[in-house]
Amino acid sequence: MFDTTSSGARIELDGLTKRYPGQADPAVDNVTLDIPAGELVVLVGPSGCGKTTTMKMINRLIEPTSGAIRIGGTDVLAMRPDELRRHIGYVIQQIGLFPHLTIAENVGLVPGLLKWSKDKIARRVDELLDLVGLDPAAFRGRFPRQLSGGQQQRIGVARALAADPPVMLMDEPFGATDPITRERLQNEFLRLQRELKKTIIFVTHDFEEAIKLGDRIAVLRESSRIAQYDTPARILAAPADDYVAGFIGTDATLKRLALIPVSLLSRSTSTGTTTGTSAAATDGLPQIAGSATLRQALDAMVAHGRQEIAVDGKVVTFAQICASVTGEQAGLTGEQAGAAGEWPVSGVR
Amino acid sequence: MLRYLGTPLALAAVLLVLYLWVSGLALDSIEQRTLNWEYIHTRVLEHLRLTAVATLLVVIIAIPVGILLSRPGARWLSPVVLGLANLGQATPAIGLLALLTIQFGIGFTIALVGLIAYAVLPVLRNTIIGIQQVDPALIEAARGMGMTRGQVLRRVEIKLAVPVILAGLRTALVMAVGVATLATFVNAGGLGDIIVNGIKLQRTPVLVTGGVLTAVIAFFVDWLGSVTENALRPRGI
Repeated sequence: MFDTTSSGARIELDGLTKRYPGQADPAVDNVTLDIPAGELVVLVGPSGCGKTTTMKMINRLIEPTSGAIRIGGTDVLAMRPDELRRHIGYVIQQIGLFPHLTIAENVGLVPGLLKWSKDKIARRVDELLDLVGLDPAAFRGRFPRQLSGGQQQRIGVARALAADPPVMLMDEPFGATDPITRERLQNEFLRLQRELKKTIIFVTHDFEEAIKLGDRIAVLRESSRIAQYDTPARILAAPADDYVAGFIGTDATLKRLALIPVSLLSRSTSTGTTTGTSAAATDGLPQIAGSATLRQALDAMVAHGRQEIAVDGKVVTFAQICASVTGEQAGLTGEQAGAAGEWPVSGVR
Repeated sequence: MLRYLGTPLALAAVLLVLYLWVSGLALDSIEQRTLNWEYIHTRVLEHLRLTAVATLLVVIIAIPVGILLSRPGARWLSPVVLGLANLGQATPAIGLLALLTIQFGIGFTIALVGLIAYAVLPVLRNTIIGIQQVDPALIEAARGMGMTRGQVLRRVEIKLAVPVILAGLRTALVMAVGVATLATFVNAGGLGDIIVNGIKLQRTPVLVTGGVLTAVIAFFVDWLGSVTENALRPRGI
């Protein structure tokens, strides 16, 4: 078995193809993708583009026609499928909690299949319920139908994490929840992933979600052909072609601004040029928290009709915001500007 | 718990009224030959035995066959088998018994075969449907977590099909109680004896006693079925 300790494992897809008999075009055509250990990669594309098929070949719910899959260097296609799946977390849109089993039984299912002792399973269940923010004492004995949709999907994630798999596959896990719950689940999930550093393949058709969650995004066209595979910031800054640009929409710059924390600019101001940092300079300016994004800063500027805004006692100007996306001018050194595309990966969360 | 007691109490009341009515009548010797404890007791036991054995055999036959037919590889077969089971139910039970008797003679076994042919359909159909109606997302989740096909069947599909299978079994039981009255025509006893005596000898108290006893048993068995369904239904669904 490949690495079963908690941290992620590298996933390599090599010329992965799926053909269904009687269909002219392959459902998935020659996909080659290298997913670094511990990263969250989002497969994004229109309905029916083969992204789910691509994902399901990794845990062999669908058998590839040709190609190779390696997880942590191990050839997945040489393993027993059932055994393989016990070491890959799997979360689906419909959640799929078993209605006749309690929350504890649902979460403890894969450890049970792996023949863990009862005590160890019980401890693990409580640990996981804590991890996803549900009180073990209150929830372990309940049945799925007694939980809200958001709570159910938290259990779905906890269940997938139960045996501490290095790899997780998530098929539109937050797709069926209302926007407010989805936002909250996404934030919790990001916090969790920062802690756990699993290698995650996340399928969605929602590009906003892809930008928000992905360390990298693979934009797919039909037959799962990769249009572009890069970090969210670089895809927004330099879409490979019209297809990717169409996916991004007409507000690519605003979306990029939403990836950059305003604290990055206010920090560069203090080391930088002309803008004052005294209390007098920020007097009368609209205030915004350092944890806000440049998009929110711009929003505040437009709302107040100002070109400057105060961030934790420092001034951020409209010109600086423009510079952060063009990579030139103002208070940014060349090095910082060059790094701008990388910021969101490590910075904004 | 109280809602479970309504049916047995009502049935007891019906039996009491029947008893009081019959004991208030002056029975002639023909009526006395049927309406005595010894005779009624034996017929009731015969009736229950026939019903119980038939239902047990239906369970043994229909549930495994239903599970087999619900497997993806055998699904094409299920319309064929369901068609056969439909035939068994659509054929008038009395006609079926007559045909069996011409071929194989009379007795308990023949009555049993007729009953099984008649009662197998609801259990078979509900087993197939109960398993097929399990949410495909649950099966995908189970497979995706690394359960083998056998584990999915045992731990998810059958468990979730239990309420539907039990509902079919309850229908089969009630039908079996009714159809078992026909066992009298193949000399297999049961409450049919009392009813037929009542008709042939034109003795209304005898006929009414046989009819009411059959109905009371049918209701009682239905009640037992509902209690069992509630007890065996997995918690959480």
